[in-house]
Amino acid sequence: MADRSPLLTTRRALIGAAAALPLLHARPSYADEQVVVGTWGGDYANLLRDNVEPLLKGITIVTDIGDEDPRVAKLYAQRRLPRGSVDVACVQAVRGNELSTSGLLEPLDATKVPNLAHLHPFLRTDNFAPHIYSLQVLIHNPATVSEPPKTLTDLLDPKYKGKIGVGNGNYFYVMMACALAATGDANKVDDPAARAMATKHNDNGLRLYSSTDAIGAGIKSGEIDVGIMWLARVHMWQGAGIPVKATFFSEGNVLYVAGMVVPKNAPNKAGAYAYLNAMLEPAAQTKFAERMGYLPTVDNDKLTGPLGEQLALPGDVKMVPPDYGIVGKLQSTTSEWWNKTMTRS
Amino acid sequence: MVEQDHDSLLMPDSAALAVPRARPRQRGQGGAASAMLGPASLFVALALVAPLLLLLRYSLNRYDAVELMIETVTGANYARFVSDPFYLGVLRTTLGVAVATTALCLLLGVPLAYRLARMTSRWKGALMLALILPLFIGNTVRMVGWMILFAHGGLVDGLVTKLTGHGFELMYTATAVICGIVSVNLPFVVLTIQSTMETIDPRIEEAAESLGATPVRRFRRVVWPLALPGVATAGILCFILAMNAYATPFLLGGPRFQMMAPLLYWEFSTNNNWPFASAIALILMATTLVLTATSGVLLARR
Repeated sequence: MADRSPLLTTRRALIGAAAALPLLHARPSYADEQVVVGTWGGDYANLLRDNVEPLLKGITIVTDIGDEDPRVAKLYAQRRLPRGSVDVACVQAVRGNELSTSGLLEPLDATKVPNLAHLHPFLRTDNFAPHIYSLQVLIHNPATVSEPPKTLTDLLDPKYKGKIGVGNGNYFYVMMACALAATGDANKVDDPAARAMATKHNDNGLRLYSSTDAIGAGIKSGEIDVGIMWLARVHMWQGAGIPVKATFFSEGNVLYVAGMVVPKNAPNKAGAYAYLNAMLEPAAQTKFAERMGYLPTVDNDKLTGPLGEQLALPGDVKMVPPDYGIVGKLQSTTSEWWNKTMTRS
Repeated sequence: MVEQDHDSLLMPDSAALAVPRARPRQRGQGGAASAMLGPASLFVALALVAPLLLLLRYSLNRYDAVELMIETVTGANYARFVSDPFYLGVLRTTLGVAVATTALCLLLGVPLAYRLARMTSRWKGALMLALILPLFIGNTVRMVGWMILFAHGGLVDGLVTKLTGHGFELMYTATAVICGIVSVNLPFVVLTIQSTMETIDPRIEEAAESLGATPVRRFRRVVWPLALPGVATAGILCFILAMNAYATPFLLGGPRFQMMAPLLYWEFSTNNNWPFASAIALILMATTLVLTATSGVLLARR
């Protein structure tokens, strides 16, 4: 049992504060109408700037661009500070739930974020505002694959040996696909059957890529023929001229959800709520669908016309939202297992 | 004296020519120097030692998925590293890559540095610029260039396929990582050795030549002993940089090629296991320090 004496609590606070010092941005207390948003860069940040920020009159948005992992690390480092350095942090649903379980997040107040009422029921959580979502699908190069795979086990066919690609950073979602195929439950990532399924694929020459974009490049160059990816990425790659097509897993497609959270120590919570509400506006959501192929998380954004046709999901597609309460606790053990087993040559 | 061979005759004189005799220190100089060094030393102590102590403290804590860190004093993180063959394997890979990279950099760097140091051509400035030009481009961007070169269907693969009919994939191999790190470290190695060789008076070599020494013998018995401190510094610099390489093994080695720095980052950021990541950082630092200190001692004895 850990020692919880007041002395140690103070020391812990001091150590936490010392760790957070280099991460702090100088922030004057009068800057109430400033909202700091920690987000990914690239298209995502550009779309936020062009489509969400204009909806917020009288609020200055400061964008803190970086990867998700350091952003999450910052939130942990600043957890004991009365004023953190970000008001809104963009994270994936799995990380958002992890932060929520650790008690770092402000519960979302539907009265201050009216657009939360429009969220699809299968995406709702207490502390995480889903912004965009997509489905994990099987991908293939139509020039080299005449009969596309329909289930995960189809990839075990020896004809795909050394021709299957997945992103190492997406390991948890790949494990959820393995769990779904092996046990029927995507949350059982630690089940021996799920792990056996993953190692079978590894034995079939699974190629692990350091970045998501490298998978698209692998398809284009002919290095791989099939793989596992988000449907949104397939739309983006098709737009970029990469010969790739998607097929839905017959056993079900795990949802990838990215969204935003408000830390408990956010200096401008009112501004953060206003930002969340703006990002859920249908007009802003449509732009993310147009540019990045992600689906809107709100039910009042009905995509119409060619975009609606392009992103429409088949009626029989099975969407599998993870149980974040369960999978959040399995991150660490799954990561270690993956690193020690799957990444070994 | 008469019984001594040419080599031993040359050494004292060459050393005397190459190293200027130190002037006796004047009174008051020491105090002034200390006063000037004080602020910098204090800054280093605060900016380097204090975070290291914090890192040490973290490494003795226990990881908790919800609390992040539970304050305690335990050696469990260190025990986990040294008792697990996986982590020891990663350390071995890192050491192997660092040693191979250092050897290659010295092998390529010493002749290059010697040629540059002895060059009197007006192109010397341009060549020096060409040497440091890669440093103007970010490390990650340079690695992306290597990725394009090594990729499936890339320049190397395409050329080999054309010549042999078989593909040649270099991406995600130890060779790719070593090539990448050598390209990053080589300018540092050459510049360090070249600056030392510039201080060696060419007249010493001329003296050796006049005494009948062949070019190889001249280099081995005159230039090499005098350049050794610079070569050792370059080797140590290269070794330290290679031990801590992150972008190169991550991008060129891929997820299956594990080195210490990417492993450390994975533990810190993906797993949020700060105590274990701190222990890995200190183990990496300690290994590098011990090995560089040992090589320093061995060289000093020599």
